Amino acid sequence: MTTKLMTGNEALAWGAVHAGVKVVTGYPGTPSTGALTSLLKMKPPGVYVEWSVNEKVALEVAAGAAWAGQRALCTMKMSGLNVCYDSLISVAYSGVLGGLVVYVADDPGVNAGMPEQDSRGFAIMADLPMLEPASADEIYRLTQTAFGLSQDSRSPVFIRLVTANADAFAPVDLNDDPPAWPEREAVLTHDIERFTKAGAAICTAQHRDLIARLEQAGRWIADAGLNTLTLGKQGGLGVVAAGITTAYLTEGFETAARYGFVPEDSSVLQIKAVHPFPVAEAQALLRRCGTILVLEELEPHLETGFYVEAQRQGLSPTIVGKLNGQFSRLGEYGVRQVVEGLGAALGLSLPHDLFAGSDEAETMAAARPITVCAGCPHRGTFMAINAAVRKAGFKKNQVMVTGDIGCTILGMNPPFNAVWTEVAMGAALGLAEGYVHAGVESPVIATVGDSTFYHAGIPALINAVQHQVPVTLIIMDNGWTSMTGMQVDPGTSEDYQQPGDRPLDLAKIVPALGVEQFWVVDPFRVDDMAQTLKAALELPGVKVLLARQECVMPASRRGDRAGHTTVIDENCNLCRLCINLTGCPAITLGEAAIEIDSSLCYGCGLCAATCNRDAIRVEATEEVVG
Amino acid sequence: MNNYDIYLVGVGGQGVLTIGEIIMVAAFQKGHSVNFYPTKGMAQRGGFVKAQLRISRDPAGAGIPEKGADLVISTEVSETLKAVRFIKPGGDVVLLAYVSAPTDVMIGKAPYPTLEAVAEQVRRAGARLTVIAPDSLPSFEGAPVPDNIFTLGAAVAHTRLGELLDPASVETTVRTRWKRGIERNLFALSAGLQSTP
Repeated sequence: MTTKLMTGNEALAWGAVHAGVKVVTGYPGTPSTGALTSLLKMKPPGVYVEWSVNEKVALEVAAGAAWAGQRALCTMKMSGLNVCYDSLISVAYSGVLGGLVVYVADDPGVNAGMPEQDSRGFAIMADLPMLEPASADEIYRLTQTAFGLSQDSRSPVFIRLVTANADAFAPVDLNDDPPAWPEREAVLTHDIERFTKAGAAICTAQHRDLIARLEQAGRWIADAGLNTLTLGKQGGLGVVAAGITTAYLTEGFETAARYGFVPEDSSVLQIKAVHPFPVAEAQALLRRCGTILVLEELEPHLETGFYVEAQRQGLSPTIVGKLNGQFSRLGEYGVRQVVEGLGAALGLSLPHDLFAGSDEAETMAAARPITVCAGCPHRGTFMAINAAVRKAGFKKNQVMVTGDIGCTILGMNPPFNAVWTEVAMGAALGLAEGYVHAGVESPVIATVGDSTFYHAGIPALINAVQHQVPVTLIIMDNGWTSMTGMQVDPGTSEDYQQPGDRPLDLAKIVPALGVEQFWVVDPFRVDDMAQTLKAALELPGVKVLLARQECVMPASRRGDRAGHTTVIDENCNLCRLCINLTGCPAITLGEAAIEIDSSLCYGCGLCAATCNRDAIRVEATEEVVG
Repeated sequence: MNNYDIYLVGVGGQGVLTIGEIIMVAAFQKGHSVNFYPTKGMAQRGGFVKAQLRISRDPAGAGIPEKGADLVISTEVSETLKAVRFIKPGGDVVLLAYVSAPTDVMIGKAPYPTLEAVAEQVRRAGARLTVIAPDSLPSFEGAPVPDNIFTLGAAVAHTRLGELLDPASVETTVRTRWKRGIERNLFALSAGLQSTP
């Protein structure tokens, strides 16, 4: 055994490899991204790993592999689970032959944006088992357990992490001598009773089988002892903790002990398999304890289960949780919730300011809205949108610009304030079409990134073409899935694709979808782009601009630079126009002139284009690809 | 030594997460249990970065409770304020007093706190403050030293972190972290260790 420091995501990757995984698919999404990224770096022999075009396809690829008898892993953030859920429900009805583990990462506390969704609800709705490890070491071990459970119960199995364990580093005891998994032949099983949904008889039978598989999984989980119950004094307090909250029990108990809490008197149920509900352990706890404290982040799923079990047993315990108003359904839980929950359940007198630091300081901190990087091509697009709207004779508040997911949404922030909405992957164009049909007579613009367009934007464009909706779509093609840390997407240059993979070209795809008014523009040439966009806004029908320039991060990592910028100090009158229009983090105000941080500057030239005093000059290092 | 919790804040690109990673590795090599939870938001530079490092708690949840951090390390004046409620009374704050002004501050549309105001908040939270002025840093072979590694050295020298990690173990970690630029990082560490509070 070797103890190594790694993130929960990497621990999950190792767990999958040591469980004999054969196929791994996923789509990037914070905080789940690191698992598949780790596997791409590890290159485990005999394991196929891909970033898929979206989570639905990823799930289908993994399910196909599992139906052919292999062990497969599919990774995503909670929003991705929503995308693939249609297929997943259907696969759940069919069950699997090999093993299928679906890793979903939730983000309580919203560290990265998007809804604070509790994906445990999806496990309940799909009748699929869900495991929820707390520490990185548990993640490593329970991932292997999940494959065993999946294979034995013939059911897809969820493994759910949250940001606080997916992205946190902790020690993991890695097995130096993992089991050697024999090479398994793919199998073909012709069984329409299992693998199709043709008719009520088949579907009803599959539903019956699904319920039976979940019950079987529950017995498997009980036999494996995944949920641990330690019984304390009869009539003492019962503490229930699930997943990440179990990691705070020891510390919380130590703190509460200073205020009269007696840990030995309490019974503790630590739940690592959150679905199916651990009925036997819950019943034992209810028989032992008159008061139950339930510690779970987000929704009161387990807590509700305790009310149901208590009712079935004819008991009426006091349950301290969210439903009695003790805890919030928002945010991450920690030591505070453990201690305050114990305080409330036992009537301990805790100092009122035990965990209450001063809020005053934070209110004095400078607001720091995230903006695009120095050298980001999206900056040019946002500037071009604002300029084109103005040139077309409209005010900013007269032209709807829908936004999508990824770095392209940063146009909502100052200084651009250009983008109005953010919904879901690929949603910008559909929304824009809705605004048009609602009767908006001013131009409607939709924006989307390249990866997002591949992911879920293409159907909306087909819809716009078929129904001939007068709308302008800007595809901001930087060649990468950038927001999540630069993953390869279908359009990324061949140099970065996996061996044997072939990149696609949006400049060929868009016209092939029936778009007749199509321009490829360079967002670094902001005046040209604004001119093209203005013209497009004045035309009828579907118009698409492909704003093409590579993401600055990978480009600058290669040592590329679009150009070199020089400030002519005597020409600068500190008018701040360049800062106001670009918001570029490389520009600061100096004493007599603006200063450009050469370590940040990519030489995109956008600042030079804003200057009307010739105070910024840019010399292109090469012809910028348009 | 018992549990030691460190809350780190700064702005993306300053290397504050690197400070946390080096302490994490050095503490782990010394046989301590560690849990390091960086939150860097998105891929862009310039955003708020925070990290929570918990040493010798086993098992440990990743989150440090309010008023729980023995040490706060900040690499940006204003961002320090976001860590104030996590300071344990009697704890330490080491601040590399760099100002990274957001656009609205630069163009005069939004306020930015003074160093004195930040120091006052730290004092009210009951912590000892060590301020490192960015322009006081030495240079190495004509170039500024890596300020994050200098700050790490200062934290080891002037706070109870030094009871947990001896300078030699930190130096070993720094030495094994980079393939290039080892000398300038070791110089920065040594200068930080010898700095006067």
